[in-house]
Amino acid sequence: MYFKGINSYGDRGLVLDFGNETSKSISQEVNETFLNISNLNLQSLNIIPSFNKIVVIFENSKIRDQNKDKISMKMKDTNSQTNKKVTKTWEIPACYNEDFALDIKIIQKLHQITKEEVINLHSSVRYYTYYIGFMPGFPYLGDVPSQLITPRLATPRVKIPARSIGIAKTNTCIYPKVSPGGWNIIGQIPFDIFDLQSSYPSLFLPGDEVKFYSVSLSEFEKIRKYNFSLNELIKEYSS
Amino acid sequence: MNSIIITRAGTHSTIQDFGRFQYQHLGVSPSGAMDQRIITELQKIIPNHQNQFLEFAYVGPSIKVKEGSVKICVGGNCNMSIQKNNNSQLECQPYKSINLFEGDELIIHNTIDSVYGYIAFEHGLGLEPCLNSYSTDTKAGIGSINRPLNDEDIFYISKDVSSWDLISIPKPDLEKITNFKVYPGPQLQYFSDNTLQSFISGVFTITNQSDRMGIRLKGESLISSKSHDILSEGILPGSIQIPSDGQPIVLMRDIPCTGGYPKIAILNEIDISRISQLPPETKITFDLQTIY
Repeated sequence: MYFKGINSYGDRGLVLDFGNETSKSISQEVNETFLNISNLNLQSLNIIPSFNKIVVIFENSKIRDQNKDKISMKMKDTNSQTNKKVTKTWEIPACYNEDFALDIKIIQKLHQITKEEVINLHSSVRYYTYYIGFMPGFPYLGDVPSQLITPRLATPRVKIPARSIGIAKTNTCIYPKVSPGGWNIIGQIPFDIFDLQSSYPSLFLPGDEVKFYSVSLSEFEKIRKYNFSLNELIKEYSS
Repeated sequence: MNSIIITRAGTHSTIQDFGRFQYQHLGVSPSGAMDQRIITELQKIIPNHQNQFLEFAYVGPSIKVKEGSVKICVGGNCNMSIQKNNNSQLECQPYKSINLFEGDELIIHNTIDSVYGYIAFEHGLGLEPCLNSYSTDTKAGIGSINRPLNDEDIFYISKDVSSWDLISIPKPDLEKITNFKVYPGPQLQYFSDNTLQSFISGVFTITNQSDRMGIRLKGESLISSKSHDILSEGILPGSIQIPSDGQPIVLMRDIPCTGGYPKIAILNEIDISRISQLPPETKITFDLQTIY
């Protein structure tokens, strides 16, 4: 148990505190708690997990105070903390072709490794989805192998192509759409991961496990042409 | 069928409602009307607004009826007039319903001593919701219309006006304040007593680098005694975050969903609406509430 307590955030928010450190096991507790709190069907406007906090937002202080007790009780009820697994495990095709791997040389140079080593290392790990943030559907995945840990670009790129795979510090990510950003870009995936037409628009959810596998440019183009819907992607690439 | 065309889009006109909730954990900002007091008032005049309000800032839009007729009401403090289809000009006032017929054009010149104004349309604007809300987040490209309105945008309103009766309410008292009571933020302890004293006793000026995402203030630098870089965590509108240059940013409706700067304090909900109406160069102060 990393849970430290519940604090107020202004007149209408609460912060569930899990300390100041970050690790996969802290995140697992955060994301399990997130599911437990979500299942309480509180009168909340938003429940936002991150590395070691969950922020819960209500319409006003009265509703906040009424719901705070329900959360406290849930946090004390340790029996229910053993949550059944509802998260998904993904196998995601990734094309590390030089057309997409805009910054792979930075990582090669920093760690004195070959392009193939970067690809093998990046696709060797089952990543954990810490949380979704920064922009709609953007997954913070981690941790990358130590030989891939690389700081953000000194000058952020103005326009990162949609579906790009990036590395920054110990995390890896996928940009759902074109965006400015400072992550080192090493490849691209062949489908969209955020779809506003879907009632649950984000492919990845906090707690999901994600593994990449390398595909050729022709295989990439082939998958790209299928234009999978989110539901089809779930069937095809997750278990 | 009734339709209207935007003949001049104005400075920054978007469709907004009371906000998009339950999606912030997927990276989707709440958005919604900057001044929610005004759309709350407009509901009294146009009850069947379908949550499709037009928000404008500074220079407002001009709207012409292409076909049929519409009933609308404008909220906020603004100059406006109606160019009738017979070329006569009509004066009109906020918070009074307006009937517009084919060829009539409503011209909203500008907001007065404020920033945002709103138009409510009876039966809405014929839009479909996006993630259960009509609000626009232009940066994320989310909304019924996922961009600011443009000249020549056309809206179709299939239902006819239910009654031509003119409805009005007294001009609401949207109290203008420049001293804001704030509650301690989650990282209040990142600032020394001296710095907190500067925050409370200092005067901050609203800069023109302010928009739907945040209001940037200029004043005495508030430097953290710990760090200006925290592990990203969920944030809510009204939070006052302090980046490493020490100049506060009041986060508004189109917030980034998580933030990595320490938050010294947070405004209460109604004060988000109040502060949104203060134009650049307005000087404001903060009063920290210790008990909460």
